[in-house]
Amino acid sequence: MRPLTFRKLFFQCFILAVILFFVVILALKFGAVPVSLYALGRDLLRVLLGQSSQISSDYGLIIQNIRFPRIILAVIVGASLSVAGTSFQALLRNPLADPYVLGVSYGAAVAAVLGLVAEPHLALPPALAALFTPLCAFIGAAATITAVYFLGRRQGQIESNTLLLGGVITGYFLSAIIVFLLSTVNSSNTRGMVFWLMGNLSTSFQKSVYWFLAAGFLLATGVIYASANDLNILLSGEKEAMHLGVDVRRVRFVVYVAASLLTGLAVSVSGAIGYVGLIVPHIIRLIFGSDHRTLLPTSALGGAIAMVIADTLARIVVAPNELPVGAVTAVVGAPLFIYLLRRRLA
Amino acid sequence: MNPGRSSAAPRTPPESTRLGTETRLAVEQVSYAYSANPSQAPLFTLEATSFQARPGEIVAILGPNASGKSTLMQLIAGVLSPLSGRILLNGFAIHSLSPRTRAQRIAMVQQESRLLFRPRVWEFVMQGRHAHGRSLRFESHTDMQIVQDALMHVGAADLSDRLMDQISGGEKQRVILARALAQQPLLLLLDEPTLHLDIAAQVGLLDALRRLSARYRYSVIVVTHELNLAAEYADQILLMQSGRCLRVGPPASIYQRELLEQVFQIPLRVEMRGHGRPRVTILTDS
Amino acid sequence: MRIGRGPATVIGSNSRKPGHPPLAQRPAPFARKGEAGSPRVSRGAFFVSGGISRRNRGGFLKKFLPSRLHPAAFAVLAVLTCAAAPAYAQSATHSSPEPPAFREVADELGRTIRIPQQVRRIVSLSPSSTETIYALGLQDRLVGDTDYCDYPADAQKKTKVGGATNPSLEVIASLHPDLVLVTKLNRLETTQSLAELGIPSYATDPHTVADILSSIKTLADVLGAPEAGASVVEDMQRRLDDLQRRLRDLPPKRALFVVWAQPLISTGQHTFLADALRRAGAVSIVNSSQDWPQVNLEEVARLQPDFLVFAESQPGNASREVQKLGTLPGWKIVHAVRDHRYAVISDAVNRPAPRIVSAIEELARQLHPEAFAEKAGDTKKETEKENPPARPLAFAPFSWNPPHSPHGHSSSTGGCLCGR
Repeated sequence: MRPLTFRKLFFQCFILAVILFFVVILALKFGAVPVSLYALGRDLLRVLLGQSSQISSDYGLIIQNIRFPRIILAVIVGASLSVAGTSFQALLRNPLADPYVLGVSYGAAVAAVLGLVAEPHLALPPALAALFTPLCAFIGAAATITAVYFLGRRQGQIESNTLLLGGVITGYFLSAIIVFLLSTVNSSNTRGMVFWLMGNLSTSFQKSVYWFLAAGFLLATGVIYASANDLNILLSGEKEAMHLGVDVRRVRFVVYVAASLLTGLAVSVSGAIGYVGLIVPHIIRLIFGSDHRTLLPTSALGGAIAMVIADTLARIVVAPNELPVGAVTAVVGAPLFIYLLRRRLA
Repeated sequence: MNPGRSSAAPRTPPESTRLGTETRLAVEQVSYAYSANPSQAPLFTLEATSFQARPGEIVAILGPNASGKSTLMQLIAGVLSPLSGRILLNGFAIHSLSPRTRAQRIAMVQQESRLLFRPRVWEFVMQGRHAHGRSLRFESHTDMQIVQDALMHVGAADLSDRLMDQISGGEKQRVILARALAQQPLLLLLDEPTLHLDIAAQVGLLDALRRLSARYRYSVIVVTHELNLAAEYADQILLMQSGRCLRVGPPASIYQRELLEQVFQIPLRVEMRGHGRPRVTILTDS
Repeated sequence: MRIGRGPATVIGSNSRKPGHPPLAQRPAPFARKGEAGSPRVSRGAFFVSGGISRRNRGGFLKKFLPSRLHPAAFAVLAVLTCAAAPAYAQSATHSSPEPPAFREVADELGRTIRIPQQVRRIVSLSPSSTETIYALGLQDRLVGDTDYCDYPADAQKKTKVGGATNPSLEVIASLHPDLVLVTKLNRLETTQSLAELGIPSYATDPHTVADILSSIKTLADVLGAPEAGASVVEDMQRRLDDLQRRLRDLPPKRALFVVWAQPLISTGQHTFLADALRRAGAVSIVNSSQDWPQVNLEEVARLQPDFLVFAESQPGNASREVQKLGTLPGWKIVHAVRDHRYAVISDAVNRPAPRIVSAIEELARQLHPEAFAEKAGDTKKETEKENPPARPLAFAPFSWNPPHSPHGHSSSTGGCLCGR
């Protein structure tokens, strides 16, 4: 009987944060453009000292403007997907739930494809035009999640199985629409559209986008974390949770909205990257247990670590070309998931 | 608290009950109707039911399947709101309490849902402390003490570090009871707690229940099919049939052969024993 | 050269000598199947109709079907009965004598296909084949093309068989083509299904601009229009030679062909596109054996291309795209984006057809304007006479800032052939 203490939680998170730090350093080092650890350390020091103007070399610019933002994107997307996966698994009481099981990514993809088709006709200012597709994707994700929420409601209450099935069917429906869209729009445009179904972190964004993503992630994760204990109890069953003093309806709604926000943000900047939101929470559970007060922050860090590693692989395996990171996570994730499943059964 | 009290049948109100109210739970003319669809005729109706329970009292609800026992439990637990009438706990209408406040006063023991990720026994019992204190917090020393005590009371102190899926059905039932005790409730509701338990475990559980209710003055409402166990342990029996409450009273007044035969549709024999605890024998054709 | 123009006059004209091919009309969709000139296999596919006289059959079906439904209905029939084709074909191999009106040709995938001596009905399954057919003056033999065949405008009026990847076999069969032209755009399954229906398909697969020329030439021979082919190819070759002469002494510009910006997809070195860039006096900075590689932006920032090249289907897209990219930190450090150094050409460059030469010329003019300073007017006139470009050359969005590339490949220092 050793209760969770703040010190223990902090220690666990600290270990993962240190791992994440080293993974990020390695990710900064490896890439299409070679860079020495020394030069990297020197430039990092300069950035920390606020002298980033002294980084004049082309390599420095590449690291600063391309590689580093991309790693930050991987961190945020990985953490978001993991936290969303953890939340959906608790919320739907289904260990197979992941951020995409509710058809979110397909909703985002449909809207993104429509956005790509419409954007040339809209004469938007350049800065907005660059954001237009991600914005569309986010709206698509939000609309899908809202629709699935109402599909999953019965007599004013969310029913896990109905919601899950509703999400899966919505996903099939939307993927059919994507196939329809891809086969009707001009064929030369489809290559970029398929991106929304493969997952990709190579997109470059304005700086404000990263701040916005980080803020959205912290807000949504904070909201979910405030219900960490409620989620623990929800895992034992809804009826029980009700009798144990959990306001099941409110917790479900709040966590659903927050997890959806995380998913929407991730999808809108990276397309659909599978398996991270499914597998990372399971691995973290094996290591740190299933208490959501630990699970949520450690999953976030674990997801960030996994995503940075996956994206680094995507960058360097066929350098100077790239793989879609969704392919990397699927190739690594699917066998890993089967292993975890067998282990659970044994 | 009155730990020195040992009587199993508290006929006299303890002096610590404030405001001169002897009644802890008052169910007053409560009815309920269930329909799949608001515009349709109700599929099931619970007709006006009234009874009262005092601190330390064990009330057993008896009746065949679909007689409305569970509906009544849900109403008392505050999960359902009554169509008419009211249910008062220490003078407050139960269904108007917040889920949190309700959980501080009412604990429910029912058939457990399948566990998704297995917690440890003590973690499971700790869930009973959820309603006390802030929602997001770390367990305090007091919480740990209460959990340990609760496990001790049900005789499961040695299980505390086991995983929930590594213990037997009987042990599990005791752990669930321990979680309810950790809620420190005024009212303990048990929905068929002895289901799936062997005879020894059933008796053990109910003995523990009687001891605890006497000691901590929980009012206990228990839904059961075990006529003899109910007769042995309950202070009051509520007999139900097809959504109607037929009779409320001490076991001796309820256990009449004609009445029970009519309710349960089976020939039986009732044997009245000296201390007011009748015994029922089912008569089969052979 | 125009062949078989205008509506056919006689339905049963199958005995006419080659060179005067009639176009079979709707009332007798199966009529030509019995003739000597059609492939054996397809006769097998339609063997159910064998017992019924042609005229009766048409009338018989007309009673029950609205006339608009005919082609589709027959196509269904064809698909349903095609399973019986191989058996019939085998038995026929030994019994019937080889009709003289057949010949065997090899296509560019190395497959040997049997086609009628005179190819009268062609279905094109790619925009480039359609353009080639029009350039050869064989448009009257083109009985069907895809939804994407938008050039020349007349091609849009042809019967559409669907997209390149998912054409309707039923519509194709109902058009009774002698030959279907396929490219890499199409799926292998489509050609296999066509083969099962007894419809021969001819594949073109050029990997260089020279391949495109020889491919057009060979196709013209296969289609029985060698003179037209020679003339088209000769013209292309002449213009390419002219271009080569003008660009001979100019160092090539280092270019990035942008197929898609986010994520960045470019073109590989073994594609005719990369070769087209070379012909236009540019060299792609991407060295990938994949045809459509996803390229790391870091690599682009390291190699700093002199120019970005966009092929656009709608005017103005590319300039908007560059402005858009200019707002992104990752792209801002690519000098070509920062300095708005980009070239926009018609998306004809994506199509291995005669028009690609115009696109190459367009690109060359934008990358090496100094080479065209003198004789620009002449060349343009010639171009328009023979092979009008899709629209006026896209110089407008082109803002020139002297490139200051750190890698010494600065284009402004390059020599100029024609003096200033």
